[in-house]
Amino acid sequence: MGSKIKKIEYYLPKNVLTNSALEKEYKNWDAEKIERKVGIRERRIAGENETALDMAFKSAQKILADYDKSKIDFLLLCTQSPDYYLPTSACILQEMLGLGTSVGAFDFNLGCSGYVYGLAIANGLICSNIAENILLITSETYSKYIHPLDCGNRTIFGDGATSTIIEKNDQNGIFEFVLGTDGRGYKNLIVPNGGLRNRFKKQDTMDNNTPNDDNLYMNGPEIFNFTIEAVPNLVEKALSKNKTTMADVNFVIFHQANKYMLEYLRDKINIPKEKFYINLVQTGNTVSSTIPIALKQCLDNKMIKIGDKILLVGFGVGYSYGATIIQI
Amino acid sequence: MKATEFVELLKNTLEINAGNFSEETNLKDRKEYDSMAVLSITALTDRKFGVKLTGDQFKNVTTVRSLMNLIGTEKFS
Repeated sequence: MGSKIKKIEYYLPKNVLTNSALEKEYKNWDAEKIERKVGIRERRIAGENETALDMAFKSAQKILADYDKSKIDFLLLCTQSPDYYLPTSACILQEMLGLGTSVGAFDFNLGCSGYVYGLAIANGLICSNIAENILLITSETYSKYIHPLDCGNRTIFGDGATSTIIEKNDQNGIFEFVLGTDGRGYKNLIVPNGGLRNRFKKQDTMDNNTPNDDNLYMNGPEIFNFTIEAVPNLVEKALSKNKTTMADVNFVIFHQANKYMLEYLRDKINIPKEKFYINLVQTGNTVSSTIPIALKQCLDNKMIKIGDKILLVGFGVGYSYGATIIQI
Repeated sequence: MKATEFVELLKNTLEINAGNFSEETNLKDRKEYDSMAVLSITALTDRKFGVKLTGDQFKNVTTVRSLMNLIGTEKFS
C-alpha cells in the first residue's frame, strides 16, 4: 500500500516572450545562440493582473475537469509568489475551486526542488492516513520579480503552473526520497527586498532604472558550481536508497534549469542520452513546475509509459534539493 | 595542458571566430564574454582541471592570462 500519481495537468499563461523579441531589446544578445546553448526559444509570461494563485486555479480547473473534486481531501500549493503574506494562498484556492471545508491546505515556499518535496509531503500524508486524494499544485511568476533590463534572467525564467493528483493506492508508486538543504547558497538566487528582513529598504544608491534589490538576483556560476557538486551525489544516494541502479531506471527527469547545465550533469553522472529528458524550448525554466510539465509531456508523447520507473531530481534556490523514484 | 592549447580551447568554447585571441586578450572587451560564456568556462575548468571558479573570482578576470592564473599556472606547460 502506498501512494501513486494519478494525473498531471499544466497551465501556461498566454503571453509568449520569444527570443526574437528579446534580441530586439538587447544588443549583443543572439537568439540563435541562446536557443542552441540554453535550450530556450520562448517562455510564457503571466498577465499583469494574473498571479501565481490565478494560474494555480487554472491548472487545477484542468485537472478537475474529469475528476470528482469531492474526493480531494488535501491541497498543497508550492509557490514563492503568493498573493499575500497572509492568509495562505491555498486557503483562498480551496474556496475558488469549491472544495469542501474538510480539506487540509497550506502553501510551501520552495522553488526548483518544490515538486520533489511536494511528492514527499503528499506521500507522507497518505502513508500516515491523514489524506487519501491530494491535489499538489506548483505555480510561479518569477517574471514579476525580474527587472525589465535584466536580460539574463528574462531569458531563463518562464511562468507556469501545474496540478498533480496523488492518491492512496494498493500498489505503491512513490518510493524512497533523498532530500537536502544548503543555506550557504541562499544569496545566490534571491529577491532581497520585500520580505520582512528588508521590507521597505531602499539603499541610497538604489536606482529603480537598473536591476536592484527589489528584483530577482541569480549568481549563475555559483549555482552551477553547487549543482555539479551536489547533484551527482544526490543521484547516487537516491539510487542506493531505492536499492536500484541507473540501468534499472526507465527514465530520468531533472529540474529543467537550462540545457547547458543539464547536458553537463548528464555527462558527468553518465546517464544515457536516450533516457534523459531535456526540453525547456517553449517554457523556459518554470521553477517548481519544470518536473511535472516534463512528466506530462513525456506521457503525452509516449517517451514514458505506464509502469515505468522514473528518477526525479530537483535542485536549486535555497539551496534545496531532492530526488525520488516514482512508478507512473 | 599547454598554454597554447588552452587558449585555443577557450576560443572554441566562447565561439570566437573573429579578431585576435591570445593570452593578452581582455575577455571583458569581447562581446562573446557574456553570462553564458562564464558558465561555459566554469564547466571547462571543472571538467579539464577539477577547479571550481566562483562568481567572485570571475569579477577579477580581465585577460585570458588572468583566467589562467586563477586556474593555477602550475596546470599549464
